[in-house]
Amino acid sequence: MITVTNFSKHYKGFAAVKDLSFTVAPGQILGLVGPNGAGKTTTLRALCGIVPPTSGHLSIAGHDIVKAPIAAKKNLGYIPDHPRLFDTLTVWEHLAFTAAAYKVANFEEGAEALLQSFELSHKRDTLVHNLSRGMRQKVAIACAFLHDPKAILFDEPLTGLDPQGIRGIQQAIRERAESGAAIIISSHLLGLFETLCTHLMVLNLGECRRFGAMSDVLAEFGQSDSNSALESAYFAITQKRSDG
Amino acid sequence: MDAALLRLLAMRMRGGLRLRLMQLVSLRGALLFIALGGIIWLLIASGQLDPTAQLFGGASLDSQAIRAEIETFMPLGMLGMTLLTVLLSTGPSFHFSPTEVNLLFVGPFSRRDLIIYKFIAYAAGAALSATLIAPFAQSQTGSAFSAFTATFLTLLFVQLNSAAVGMAWQAFEGNRLARLKWPVTALVCALALAAMIHAWAVPDRSISGLISDVRHSWIGTIILMPYIVFAELFLARAHFPDLALWAAIAILINVLLLRAVIKLDRRTSEFSLREDTRLSDRWERMKQGGSFWATERSEIPSIRSAPTLGGLGPIAWRQAIKAARNSSKLIVIFIVGAACAGPLSSMAGVSITGKHGLLMLYFFFGFSLPRTLICDFRGDLSRMETYKTLPIAPWRICLGQLVVQVLLSYVIALTMIVSLLLFEDSLGAPVALALAAFALPLTLLIYAVENTIFLLFPAKLVPMGRADFEFLGRSLIEFILKTVVILIAVALAIGVGVFTLLTLGSTLVLSGLASWVSLTLIAGLAMIVMQFAFRRFVVAEAFD
Repeated sequence: MITVTNFSKHYKGFAAVKDLSFTVAPGQILGLVGPNGAGKTTTLRALCGIVPPTSGHLSIAGHDIVKAPIAAKKNLGYIPDHPRLFDTLTVWEHLAFTAAAYKVANFEEGAEALLQSFELSHKRDTLVHNLSRGMRQKVAIACAFLHDPKAILFDEPLTGLDPQGIRGIQQAIRERAESGAAIIISSHLLGLFETLCTHLMVLNLGECRRFGAMSDVLAEFGQSDSNSALESAYFAITQKRSDG
Repeated sequence: MDAALLRLLAMRMRGGLRLRLMQLVSLRGALLFIALGGIIWLLIASGQLDPTAQLFGGASLDSQAIRAEIETFMPLGMLGMTLLTVLLSTGPSFHFSPTEVNLLFVGPFSRRDLIIYKFIAYAAGAALSATLIAPFAQSQTGSAFSAFTATFLTLLFVQLNSAAVGMAWQAFEGNRLARLKWPVTALVCALALAAMIHAWAVPDRSISGLISDVRHSWIGTIILMPYIVFAELFLARAHFPDLALWAAIAILINVLLLRAVIKLDRRTSEFSLREDTRLSDRWERMKQGGSFWATERSEIPSIRSAPTLGGLGPIAWRQAIKAARNSSKLIVIFIVGAACAGPLSSMAGVSITGKHGLLMLYFFFGFSLPRTLICDFRGDLSRMETYKTLPIAPWRICLGQLVVQVLLSYVIALTMIVSLLLFEDSLGAPVALALAAFALPLTLLIYAVENTIFLLFPAKLVPMGRADFEFLGRSLIEFILKTVVILIAVALAIGVGVFTLLTLGSTLVLSGLASWVSLTLIAGLAMIVMQFAFRRFVVAEAFD
């Protein structure tokens, strides 16, 4: 369960996020969408404890990220928009470190399964700086999945992946949700949300413009001749408020 | 500390070692390592790296004099560094990379654990640095062990002290009194300058005497107390009790500073994060060939159009803009430094036109300046594709790339010549004029050779951490190669001048002119070779 209550974040007087509240229940996949600078990454980084909130409460699996950061982070998996890894370590060493950090006992079997599912088995002993961006993205996701987190945050998870990789990651996200994880995905790929997300939140200029079940949002805005239903909804929501 | 972080440290150190070994396995890496090792061995064997061998005079300083210098200047130097940290630092110096932010900040670790993790990582680096420095410092300290101990503890202190001071200042910056920072700095600088001028002007007084008096006064001793401990480490005569005592005090100071850093981190963690991002962006820019000091403003007035000049204009224009926006502070520092060369050499009683002074000048203009101020091909490795596709003749591209770099270096050289002319008695106007005339083709030659080597063997401009022997070896070999080429060119130019003098029997002006024309022609020849190197540069092969 991910709970955000009245979350605001200010940088030197500039409000990056204003009074945001929402909940993602186990099994739900929330799509976070909005134009550049809407506050998506700030929200994710605050949820995983990288940046402290200016006000409000953020909790992961019932633990407040500010008051009980370690308990909250034990239940969290975060995949950043840019897969930054330790250059001098191999793929397997990243998994070994993650297992040690999250106290995953007998991690080898789980790690092998993850490597297999992301088609990384043959890269087990490769130094990560020799991997392509897509491969490094897969390593970052495998590390985030290894400790079976109850909440998973994805920031642009499909960037740099090939079609097989995209299909594999989508499948993995679905499986994690089915096994009870609460998931948030931030992306500009609206097509990804339509096929994957159960809920949608549209952010613009740090404010929540629309939050609800995907089916409700799609039903509300319908489908135009040329655009998909979600695309129509997105532009209607963001442009309406910008114009106003 | 969390065991996982210790494990990560161990894996990262093993990974770093593995990377170095992988460098060794390649033929290029092995050759560069052997060359670097050989050169260092030769320097040690010939006593050139012996700290008792002074640069400014022919005779070596005696051990007692060096001890006095360390005792006086080291604490003052460290205090100066601390004050500079307060004045110039934009944040705490425990820097977390973006990878560490993404992987460790979201992991189940406390901030205390992360600070200790970073401290151990730094301590490991300091130990490696101390191991590398110890052989060169042991003649002063008496043994390699004492040299290692002193260097290691001092390096730790420098890091912890700057972190603690930086964080304390950040925590204090909201206070109203913090606004007095610059007025107080100006006042202290004015007082120091007045005292120095007084010491210089009054007979029987000297600047070094003034500094020594300040250091050994009771107030100086109290202010410098923590720094004196680290100077004493280098001066300890015996392992026990001298070194043991001072090392124990130094360890205590470092432990207290680490505790202070952990406490202060709670108040500055968000600021640290912002600073981490800023520093990481800078390093990324440096890896791409940019400048560490580049402007961080996001919006600046655009210059609407570039001069054409048959293709040469836009290239030089781009480099000029790059220099103005990325390196303006650096250029100012170099020009001010060059302007101070005359007064400083005069105050110190050192002849800059002597053998050692000229060596230092060559090292500055041939190595330090080209390595720091970069406005040519060397800063454009990631943009070579663009240059290759431009509809401009290669020679124009090469010349355009060098114009700004050469002119900037020449301005710095001219500033230094004028400064020396004004303050150095041994430098007359005719010699200064000759130096100014020869500096231009010589500067062009230096950068043409530098760029030719870079285009033939493109490589990164920043080392991959400590002990990147491939980078060090390459830098040293490049410098030696460049020196050989320049020595040959200068010898040829002098030879032509002497030949002119002997055959025509005319004045020195004509032979000087002949030498200048020869040097200019050689620099032009180097430009042709550089153009050839640019033409054969293959973009795809430059990135491995």
